[in-house]
Amino acid sequence: MAAVVGRRRASGGGRRFALLTVAPATLLLVGISIFPLLWALRLSFMQDSLLSVATPHFIGVDNYAHLFHDPLFWSSLGVTAVFAVSVITIQLVAGLAIALALDRLPRYQQVIATILLIPSILSPSVVSFQWRQLFDYYSGPLNYFLGLLHLPLQGWTASARGALPALVLVDFWEWTPFMVLLMFAGIKSLPRSVFEAARIDGSSGWQVTIFQTIPLLRRVIAIAVILRLIGAFKIFDIIYSLTAGGPGTSTESLAFYTYVQGFRYFDLGYSTAMAFVTLILITVLARLILGFMERPIGRSVA
Amino acid sequence: MPPITRRNFLADSAKASALLALGGTSVGSLLSACGTSSASSEATTLAVEIDAGQNANPFMWFANDMQSAVGVSPKIIGLPFVGQYEKIVSEMITRSNVYDVLVFPPFFVGDFVAKGFLHKLTDFGSESDFKLDDVLPVYRDVYLKRNGNLYAAAYDGDQLQIAYRKDMFDKAGITKAPTTWDEFVATAQALHQPPTQYGNAFYGQRGFCYGWFINIFAANGGKWFSSDMTPGIAGDAGVKALETLIKLKRYAPPNILQIGYPELNEAYLNGSTAMVVQWNDLALKAEDSTKSKSVGMNGYAPSPVANYMPYSRVMAISAYTSNPHNSYKLIQYMNRSEVSIKDVYDPNCGEDPFRTSHFDTSAVKDHTGKPTMSAAAATTYVSANKGGLAIGYPELSIPGAPRYIDILDLKVNEALSGGSTAAQALKSASDEWNSITTALDKNAQVKAYADWVDSFHKAGINY
Repeated sequence: MAAVVGRRRASGGGRRFALLTVAPATLLLVGISIFPLLWALRLSFMQDSLLSVATPHFIGVDNYAHLFHDPLFWSSLGVTAVFAVSVITIQLVAGLAIALALDRLPRYQQVIATILLIPSILSPSVVSFQWRQLFDYYSGPLNYFLGLLHLPLQGWTASARGALPALVLVDFWEWTPFMVLLMFAGIKSLPRSVFEAARIDGSSGWQVTIFQTIPLLRRVIAIAVILRLIGAFKIFDIIYSLTAGGPGTSTESLAFYTYVQGFRYFDLGYSTAMAFVTLILITVLARLILGFMERPIGRSVA
Repeated sequence: MPPITRRNFLADSAKASALLALGGTSVGSLLSACGTSSASSEATTLAVEIDAGQNANPFMWFANDMQSAVGVSPKIIGLPFVGQYEKIVSEMITRSNVYDVLVFPPFFVGDFVAKGFLHKLTDFGSESDFKLDDVLPVYRDVYLKRNGNLYAAAYDGDQLQIAYRKDMFDKAGITKAPTTWDEFVATAQALHQPPTQYGNAFYGQRGFCYGWFINIFAANGGKWFSSDMTPGIAGDAGVKALETLIKLKRYAPPNILQIGYPELNEAYLNGSTAMVVQWNDLALKAEDSTKSKSVGMNGYAPSPVANYMPYSRVMAISAYTSNPHNSYKLIQYMNRSEVSIKDVYDPNCGEDPFRTSHFDTSAVKDHTGKPTMSAAAATTYVSANKGGLAIGYPELSIPGAPRYIDILDLKVNEALSGGSTAAQALKSASDEWNSITTALDKNAQVKAYADWVDSFHKAGINY
């Protein structure tokens, strides 16, 4: 009966009511999200440089075509890919390991989890400043300890080979705790009965982790990987503060290069095209990861 | 009806704002028309944009005196040293009135004047308020004016300079500062005893390393462009200069590509580096026992053959300020010779001499009147400053200069980091420069460059 009434309402005055109810939210969404996105999409097909004498005009796909011939775009994409794969792999493995260890702690889990949050809630500029001090060649503690061990001092961000690993280290410090917390929350939400049954069947702790815990965590892992993938593709702040993209272009990420084109050269059309390519890349990768994680994966999880 | 574009929208918004503002200021306009100073309706606390840190200090030191003398005071808005250009442009493009006074390096002047971001100073007073005869010609004619109009007043007269450890030179049997770049390399090599002593150091970090390349490029007879805007950097003078800089990396601290302005100061002041090329304010810090391990052991000399004058700072009035008359008063006060002479020799800021009257060895004191170095060191330092200006090589400041410079910096840094050879890097930078010139309208750039070069000749610079 209720369903019938509901259907009748939806087909009459109720529909207008429903539309009126969702209208403010829809308008807001269109106004602050969809309209700017469409405006930006239009801009990506324009020649529009704020410092140029030329009037902005439509140039079709020229900005996109230029991207594919721009060596700095490809090198920044390469830097971003290496950075993303490195941080996601290291943080996932470390985050999972620490979360599993944390789960086995009899006490102080909440206290440790709270402390772990600190790096992730610090402002990126503070994080960069603090690591700048840590990396300092003359007065940084890292080189101080190397000196104590009679090892050669390092210019941590001073070489094209060393700078990107240094940024990976900073990102590891900042975001691994976030990964730990996600994994820890995921582990806590798993049904304990599955693990008890596995143990009764004679599985070792290692086997339980590999064949039960990790497969059951796959959706959490997928979300964590996607979140960190987005973070890695957007990496800008620590690069801006620590290396400014250098030495050379060794740490110039896609986000940093987009910033340079947009806000240093004020080439709005080109930088917007770059931003859209980044958006497409992230969307495709996220879709692939979700698809991979949702595939059925063997009897042990059934 | 014209199409609604972002620019039209901004322009129409500005017109609407102006109409709205007209209602609010009409009384002021009437009073002004009746002879009352329009400055009286303006705010007296003025937003001063400047790169954050030590260079803002003089505004704070003199804030009370300024208030007493001209009735205005500064509110500092600090921006990052690298990134200042984009921050200012981002505000100005939206006609924001967040800044009243802009303090920036003169290589922005070309773009800012072309885009209408600055008021002419003479709209609010007279050139004579700035005692331009006392301002060193290079700063006055090249950095402050465009098309014969005065847009800015000097705040800081930068130049690169050699600072070296006399004790280390003596120990190695070297009797004088190098006067050619070959000598410079040989000296750096002779003094290089890692890890306790490095032969030399320079700005190797991305952001400003191009300046140290241009310093050598100028000595090799290089020119930014030819008269038809063909880039000069990729020729022999450029390639040889970059190869020299790459060679100098061998005799530098291992973190050389991490070294920016503060790190370069540190490398010299902590006693680990025998010789550096750095902005000339390093000398004031090197003679300050709270900052330096080498007080009394330093020598100063101009760079070999030619002396690049990167950065410097000028003060100008934002075209969108609501307080232009009071901004003028603030700028005029800070530019006064009796005020500026108190900061150009203070080790706690980065300002350097830009007036003839600043070259007075008895004036080498901090802003409180305390001598900042011994009489002998002051004589050497003032003499090095004068000598550097005599062979000065100005910074590019035509429209698009920040973009030309940024790409050059990137390519120089790429070569320093081993990512390309000197020739490849400079060829690539040169190609990019051609694209920038085309994008900005080649004919307009040719004219702007010719006007700029002409201003050198008026200033007596051999270019």
